[in-house]
Amino acid sequence: MASPVSVYNSNALDPHIRSPPREALKMEFLADVTLLPGEDRITDKDIIYICPFNGAVKGKVLITNYRLYFRSSDADVTVAVTLDVPLGAISRVEKMGGASSRGENSYGLDITCKDMRNLRFALKQEGHSRRDIFENLFRYAFPLSHNLPLFAYVTQEKYAEVGWSIYNPVEEFRRQGLPNKKWRISFTNKSYELCDTYPTVLAVPVRSTEDDLKRVAAFRSRGRIPVLSWIHRENQAVIVRCSQPLVGMSGKRNKDDERYLDLIREANDTPKLTIYDARPNVNAVANKATGGGYEGDEYQNAELVFLDIQNIHVMRESLKKLKDIVYPNVEESHWLSSLESTHWLEHVKLVLSGAIQVADKVCSGNSVVVHCSDGWDRTAQLTSLAMLMLDSHYRTLRGFQVLIEKEWISFGHKFASRIGHGDKNHADQDRSPIFVQFIDCVWQMTKQFPTAFEFNEHLLLTILDHLYSCRFGTFLYNCESARDANEVRLKTVSLWALVNSRMDIYLNPFYTPESGRVLYPVASMRHLELWVSYYIRWNPRIQQQQQSPVEQRYRELLALRDEYLKKLEQLQLSDSSTSSDLANSSTPNTTPSSTSTPSQYTHLQTPL
Amino acid sequence: MLTGSKTTFKVRQMLPDIKERMLSQSGVNARSRDVFGLRCLPGECVLQRVVMVRKKLTAREGRGWLSGTLFCTHFRVAFVPQDSPKVDDNADPVLLGDHDVALASIEKVVVVGPNRTKLVTPNSSLKFTPEELVLYCRDMRVICFLFDRLTPDAQVLEITYTIAKTYQPLRPGSVLSFQNAALGSVEMKQFLSNRRRDAQVNWFESASDWEQELERCGATSWRVSSVNDRFEMSTSLSRFIVVPQKVLDTELKKSFAHFNEGRIPRWCWRHPRGSDLLRMASFQNNIYHEKDDIRNLEMVLFGCRSSLCVVVELGEELPSPADVQLALGRLRALCLGDISTSVSVPDDKWLSTLESTHWLDYIRACLRKASEVACLLRGGHLTVALQEAEDRDLGCLVSSLVQLMCDPLCRTRHGFQSLVQKEWVAAGHRFCSRGNYHRDNDKEEAPVFLLFLDCVWQLWFQFPSRFQLTDEFLLAVHDSVHLPLFSTFLANCQRERCKRSQNLGQSYTPVNGWRDALHPDSSSDPADPPLPPVWDWALQYSRERQARFTQPVPPAPPLQPLLNGNLNTHPDSHRMNDTPPGSVFLLSRGTFTCPANLPPWRSGSSGVYKKSHRRALSSESVPGLERLLKAWSLSEFPQNPAPGSGPQGPQGPQGPTDAYEPLLPLLMGPCMGLWRGCYLRGALHAQAFSHPVSSLAHPVERLAREVQQLQARLAQASSPEPSPPAVTAEPRRPDANLNQNTNNGTFLFPASRAPAPPTAPPRAGSKNHHAPWAPPPAAAPAPRPGNKDSPGGNKHTFLFGHSSAPEARPDPRYYQLAGAAKLPKSSGPPLSS
Repeated sequence: MASPVSVYNSNALDPHIRSPPREALKMEFLADVTLLPGEDRITDKDIIYICPFNGAVKGKVLITNYRLYFRSSDADVTVAVTLDVPLGAISRVEKMGGASSRGENSYGLDITCKDMRNLRFALKQEGHSRRDIFENLFRYAFPLSHNLPLFAYVTQEKYAEVGWSIYNPVEEFRRQGLPNKKWRISFTNKSYELCDTYPTVLAVPVRSTEDDLKRVAAFRSRGRIPVLSWIHRENQAVIVRCSQPLVGMSGKRNKDDERYLDLIREANDTPKLTIYDARPNVNAVANKATGGGYEGDEYQNAELVFLDIQNIHVMRESLKKLKDIVYPNVEESHWLSSLESTHWLEHVKLVLSGAIQVADKVCSGNSVVVHCSDGWDRTAQLTSLAMLMLDSHYRTLRGFQVLIEKEWISFGHKFASRIGHGDKNHADQDRSPIFVQFIDCVWQMTKQFPTAFEFNEHLLLTILDHLYSCRFGTFLYNCESARDANEVRLKTVSLWALVNSRMDIYLNPFYTPESGRVLYPVASMRHLELWVSYYIRWNPRIQQQQQSPVEQRYRELLALRDEYLKKLEQLQLSDSSTSSDLANSSTPNTTPSSTSTPSQYTHLQTPL
Repeated sequence: MLTGSKTTFKVRQMLPDIKERMLSQSGVNARSRDVFGLRCLPGECVLQRVVMVRKKLTAREGRGWLSGTLFCTHFRVAFVPQDSPKVDDNADPVLLGDHDVALASIEKVVVVGPNRTKLVTPNSSLKFTPEELVLYCRDMRVICFLFDRLTPDAQVLEITYTIAKTYQPLRPGSVLSFQNAALGSVEMKQFLSNRRRDAQVNWFESASDWEQELERCGATSWRVSSVNDRFEMSTSLSRFIVVPQKVLDTELKKSFAHFNEGRIPRWCWRHPRGSDLLRMASFQNNIYHEKDDIRNLEMVLFGCRSSLCVVVELGEELPSPADVQLALGRLRALCLGDISTSVSVPDDKWLSTLESTHWLDYIRACLRKASEVACLLRGGHLTVALQEAEDRDLGCLVSSLVQLMCDPLCRTRHGFQSLVQKEWVAAGHRFCSRGNYHRDNDKEEAPVFLLFLDCVWQLWFQFPSRFQLTDEFLLAVHDSVHLPLFSTFLANCQRERCKRSQNLGQSYTPVNGWRDALHPDSSSDPADPPLPPVWDWALQYSRERQARFTQPVPPAPPLQPLLNGNLNTHPDSHRMNDTPPGSVFLLSRGTFTCPANLPPWRSGSSGVYKKSHRRALSSESVPGLERLLKAWSLSEFPQNPAPGSGPQGPQGPQGPTDAYEPLLPLLMGPCMGLWRGCYLRGALHAQAFSHPVSSLAHPVERLAREVQQLQARLAQASSPEPSPPAVTAEPRRPDANLNQNTNNGTFLFPASRAPAPPTAPPRAGSKNHHAPWAPPPAAAPAPRPGNKDSPGGNKHTFLFGHSSAPEARPDPRYYQLAGAAKLPKSSGPPLSS
């Protein structure tokens, strides 16, 4: 038997950089490591990586202003180990042991990452060997805490497509058929005066004046007024998003807000407007104490539904518990009950079933208003998932980018606070994996509808990796006004530039476009699955499954098809003198190609 | 494949036809083949009928509702969708349509009325009119019918009562009356007694069946012994057993007494690297033993070349049959909910409740044990003997799982069927008791075979591209287990099957005379209907559905036929030459021990063993064995850098180069799946927001069909003679029954060997079967070298590999199997659709 040498590579990030630009690095340590343009080596060192799967592995570590790179050096270790971790993914660096600690490998660094793993390194105790590496890590992993720029502002990457143009709000509204008789486009927020966390372009009822908007803004938390997110082409039902009304303990009313919501209802002339409050009922009540609250009976022609989705703190703790049972070792003895006790899947289920209710309501012709407390976490989850169910455009590769740009980035999901880009304060209570949870929900949908999405799991993984990496400007800052102030679009590269430069690797070969189909996933624990290839991907046993078996089968078939096509072609070439008939019959098919695009696929289907 | 012969067809068509016409004309709604659109079996009576019923479709069926007519006969609850195509009267009878439920599969009948749900028993009376009728089936389907508001209450009530009264879940003897309802008519008996058995399945009934397997595996130092021909040595073993060449029958006879039920170590399978897999029951230690007995045992264990024997005790780490029964009971309750109270486990407790069934734990234990054994066998040159107290439950399971992991042939449909014949049917798994078909012995009931099917599903789920069979096939086997109609499942051992058929006598001589007179497995008697084997799928499934039992284009790992077990010619680093000959080790809980007292009757005099045979019990080879097992845990690590991290460019066919490299499943908690397609099929809550899914096939399926067509075109273009392979000459379409009957005139030859080319009109036939735009075959002269050898031509790529040397002429046995593997390709639905 072959010796069980296996290489596993913990880098899931960078399929793009293949041809190494090795400028002037020839003599250096780990010289063959491919760096990004603008990435600089900071320090390197001999180190021991305490791998939770293979034990201590001797090797070398390289730290740049973008990444931590480790490679094992021992020739005789059975498993070669490579680590390639963007510094942005690090949430905490700690020293482990002191100069006097006893025991093997007890002196070193303990690194906690945002992407579901921990890294431990051991160093020699002599001569403060870790001081330098610790300080550099600390400095470059948390640049904002050290008055350094984020790497997105340092990188010199260039791409053919400028990813920033993927989403243009006016164009997107036009695609939805707006403005129309009932809805107009408002630029009243162009200098973020109405609401500093909203985008500049908003769609509001035609009959509402700019003054109305201002008065409504006064009654909605942080001025996040109800605005249109999506409109159903046929029945004109809309998804409207906002923040909670400022009802407070005294139960204040605001006639303008009430009238404004009624304008939304009138727009497609349905008897009732449904308001989905994403929170559990108790939380909504509790919010009254801090000046918030929910729409009461004074809102005529409206019904209020609570969706029971927990807040950011509950979600953070839940994911932490999940990490505890999957990293480094998967809880073996009581896996399912351990999984249940994290409640992660249950939260995913509640988010999905909330979105299903929204989508179903809209599909049946009723307009809905969605809000939570501030309308930037749960609200974004619900509206974007409902739109993904309702509108097949968002299920394409580019459409999905638009959806994220629109519902998450432009409407001010607080990425900077939730992720803590470049910030050393790892215990910040504002951090929460809300966006990860959304991507998990999308993954659940792709599992249940394997042919409905143009993109594949690899895209979702890439998005989550760069959510933390700080290599692209896409997920930086909390809102558009902050992005404008920091000139994100001028000075950084968009993640979509990277994605759209190699679209083929993000395409789902099984995609079958069906516009107009509404997807209702089954939101039941019986049918939800843990996203193993994300949450447990650092476990080397799981990686084996990264390419789905079905996809593998598809590629096998593709290879087989190409082989046959080639053979047929050869036969026909050798044969063309005697039979022209044969050559004619197969012309449409004789284009053997190694990758398949959906269009090519349908082309091939036509003769059948 | 299996059809009535021409002669019986005439008989069957003539008689009932006249009768039917008369009856239906006189308005009596019974005893006709086509009653209100329901195609009845001969002798089947329609008891009740309700029109304008809607059936709820599952996700697999495309979700939504289907309108049609609901029937209750004394054999099944049938549902005929509106506008369903009228079936040709000459077609063979099909026991169950796609939407039908056999009465014997129904476990509970529940009606849903306005705001209430009620379990209907034969004696219950309803105080409300049901709006919905829900049938809970033993095979875990839940079938839901919705009545129309305009349907008169009386009709709805009547059919509900009729179903409740007729399905009779627990009455003893109900199985027999059910069988009679299905198969008891003269026409059915005659029809069944003239069915030909599938020649592509190795039935493991005759000595030659076993010899064929020995030859296939290249197990040359083993022979088939007929010492148990009359079941005198062991009542539960098959008539033929495989033992070492060296051991004489007289020596063998002395061994039986030392094993529980006389189930001595027998050969099951040989790994291409030269390891043999054996099975045996536990030792009897309460009888007097002579020195010779020990020698005989050694002879049986070491009779062949291998020097090392590992006895794998199956009792300790695996669930007992009672455990399995309990676990499946819990799983059923969980998946179906408490039917009578319509209370189901709350969603937030689903995972922990699923865990507490232990079903997945048991599956994992079985897969782990089988993986260990597979790794040992892969090491080469040793004998692994599976030992279980009775050797009739988990021995069957582990032994067949090991072969599924190691032998690609077992992962084809026909190979799987042969495997079940060998390791379960012939080996005497007590299907009848374990299934408790007669509801007379609850203590013995244990769905060990269903546990096996789930294990196979797990393997399939992790390695679908290494299987030719599909999950639909597994589902069909699963559902058939719950149908008390098949000889496969209604006996506990071969002896019972033989006895039954002999006692019944033969009132109808098989028309074709093909069957071995000693084993008429389906002879008829007025009292007792003949039972067909479960593998006669045409009785249950339409051709369209059978076509889905296999992948349209089978995955093609470069398979070589097992040539005399000689894959071990290349040096094997794990080969343990340092082991002294004749060492026995016991594997238990992952560790090897040299048992001083195996077999147990030598306890106290263990020295005898060493001295008398001058064999040092060496513990040196323990590390070697442990290395083999360790290789397994390491092999769970990927051999390549993670595929997800690199650019996923075009990748060629993947998979290890060695086709016999075992499939070792991942067994971590997150990797064990629940067979939702089986257990959650009817879960009604799952359809709360259901929406019809695409009617288009999955892109993989479509691509597979495309590849299939290309293959066919290539075959046509490359064959110089207009001689399509035999398989395509055999009509496969549902409407081709007349052709089929004429073909059956040649029943003396197994179907796949039928010398089709000279007789069949090839060009017309193949044109029909392949793409309509396929070029005329005659216009393609360029022959592919190497494809001319066998009449099958390059149709045999699946088993022989594309690049198999031209001179490697396939042995007819493989040819047969190759044909078998190929069959589904041409059996797809009409390609132009």
